[in-house]
Amino acid sequence: MSGTAVLERPAKVPVFRPVVWMAVAVGLVVLCLAPLGISAYWLRVLTTVLMYVVITQGLNVIVGITGYHAFGNGVFFGIGAYACGSSMAAGAPFAAGVLAAVAVSAACALILGWPILRLKGHYFAIATVALNLAAIQIVIQIGGITGGAQGLALPLSTWEPKPLYVAIYYLMLAGAVVSTAIVALLLKLPLGFALRAIRDSERAAAVMGIDTTKAKVFAWAISAAMTGFAGGVWAYWITFIEPSSAFDPGVGVKAYIMLIIGGMGSILGPVIGAFVLEIVSTLVWGGFLKAHQLILGLLIIVICIVAPNGIVDAGTRLARSWRSRHGAA
Amino acid sequence: MLAQATVNGILLGGLYGLATVGFSMVWGVMGVINLAHTSFIMLGAYVTYFLFEKLGMDPIVSMPFAMAAMFVLGYGIQRFILNGVIRTSLLLSLVVTFGIDLVLTDATILAFTSDVRSVNASYASTSVAMFGTLVPLVRLLAAGMSLVLGVAFFVFLRRASLGQAILATALDREMSNLMGINPQKVFALTAGAGAALAGAAGSLSSMLFPVSPTMGVSFIAAVFVITVLGGIGSVEGCIVAGFLYGLVQAWAAYFLGTSYQEIVAFALFLAVLILRPQGLFGRAFFGEHA
Repeated sequence: MSGTAVLERPAKVPVFRPVVWMAVAVGLVVLCLAPLGISAYWLRVLTTVLMYVVITQGLNVIVGITGYHAFGNGVFFGIGAYACGSSMAAGAPFAAGVLAAVAVSAACALILGWPILRLKGHYFAIATVALNLAAIQIVIQIGGITGGAQGLALPLSTWEPKPLYVAIYYLMLAGAVVSTAIVALLLKLPLGFALRAIRDSERAAAVMGIDTTKAKVFAWAISAAMTGFAGGVWAYWITFIEPSSAFDPGVGVKAYIMLIIGGMGSILGPVIGAFVLEIVSTLVWGGFLKAHQLILGLLIIVICIVAPNGIVDAGTRLARSWRSRHGAA
Repeated sequence: MLAQATVNGILLGGLYGLATVGFSMVWGVMGVINLAHTSFIMLGAYVTYFLFEKLGMDPIVSMPFAMAAMFVLGYGIQRFILNGVIRTSLLLSLVVTFGIDLVLTDATILAFTSDVRSVNASYASTSVAMFGTLVPLVRLLAAGMSLVLGVAFFVFLRRASLGQAILATALDREMSNLMGINPQKVFALTAGAGAALAGAAGSLSSMLFPVSPTMGVSFIAAVFVITVLGGIGSVEGCIVAGFLYGLVQAWAAYFLGTSYQEIVAFALFLAVLILRPQGLFGRAFFGEHA
């Protein structure tokens, strides 16, 4: 599984470090200034990209670091959206709604994780997909405060549309930065070491004295909290949610593809993956209105064949083989 | 009414069982969850629709053509795309088949537009009286043909040497390789056979359901639930679980209302996954090398 891919990875070349930090700093400055100079359309695209950065980092925690392939992690996006939407419909302010989104998503992962994280490999992957699909039906059945099949309209903001969208952009940017920081921090903490040990060999990790169930459930709760945050902010952003759009399995699948493109278990991989896939698919959408899904599908297939460990990994491999051929002299 | 619902559910379950056999075999033999499987069902239905519309061919007669076309497609995809991918990472196949599904669905929309079509055989409105219920002939035909094909595939696996090779590879890949079986060829053969059975299911369902590029979506839940219920890689389990699933769905609709059908299906699915992951009839070794 993913364990072998990690073992193959060579030690990082220290020369790249400052370059990476410089790139991150420049990227952040550009993203902070972006709303000043771009059209409403591209502001929307960039907000979506940052939303997917958060979701993909959430997925990175459970898939990339822990090795549990939660193919249907989008369920927490929907739970977050509905937690925020329902509490705001009940009169709570937006901040409380986002807090509810994070808390309810994490709580759901804690409760559901206990039985479901006992499953391994494919079984876990499809159990999460089933969870995602079942959630659509459950929300429809609950009705009441969730609005059921008719959908749920959130209270409109008193702000003008333009500053509101810019504010949501900055909120998503903050979410993207914080979630990336959480992943970076997690890799340094004992929990992160425990999770990576579980990914490489769960039995060995248990033998070393790691409470694997607890570690896995915690990891999923962190993952769910991030995904729930994105869902909560998204719900306020588009102001109208319905079961099939909030629990769209495509959200989780798209984040999974972004994670593969960027490289699993790395800190900046999900950021790169989200930017590449979302911007490419936006351009493809604009260029080929009818065949965009076909081209997107072909792109996914080609990436999986050419760069199964992510484009960063493929790029460094290519650079290394080029240097060993030309740079030796 | 209950008897009518029961008979309808069981008959529909037969078709769902056939739609699942290929998916379950592919998962059991090589550990690949083929998300493009329902696209094969959809394309099989389109082959039948096309032959019916252009040549007036009966769906039962055109079924072998749909199966042959899907065999070639399934074999080719496995041989040229998936065999390379599963060598790097099994779970990557989930993403690749998702991409293949996007391509096949969108290509169908481009070729045939997203209009909903239908195949109306001359006997489409004929019904047969059975056990005090009225059974539409097409449903009876679909369930009967499904059962025949399922049993035929079961016998093929147990009796033919190619079938034996598939089973041996599912049991122990390394050992079967030592016995002179080429796993790459067996994988392609299994994928082809699985796609052919899906094509047959598509052919039969074109008589029952409207044909459209997104018709495969309605099979996804059934395919997953039946696979897990029957035990991954078990043909006989699939057939029995298919009937069981149809029955449960019909009863859920009858007793609780149609809106509960899906919830009951997913509840059943999660319960079986957690309590008895090898399925109701399966043995634990199939699909374990995931």
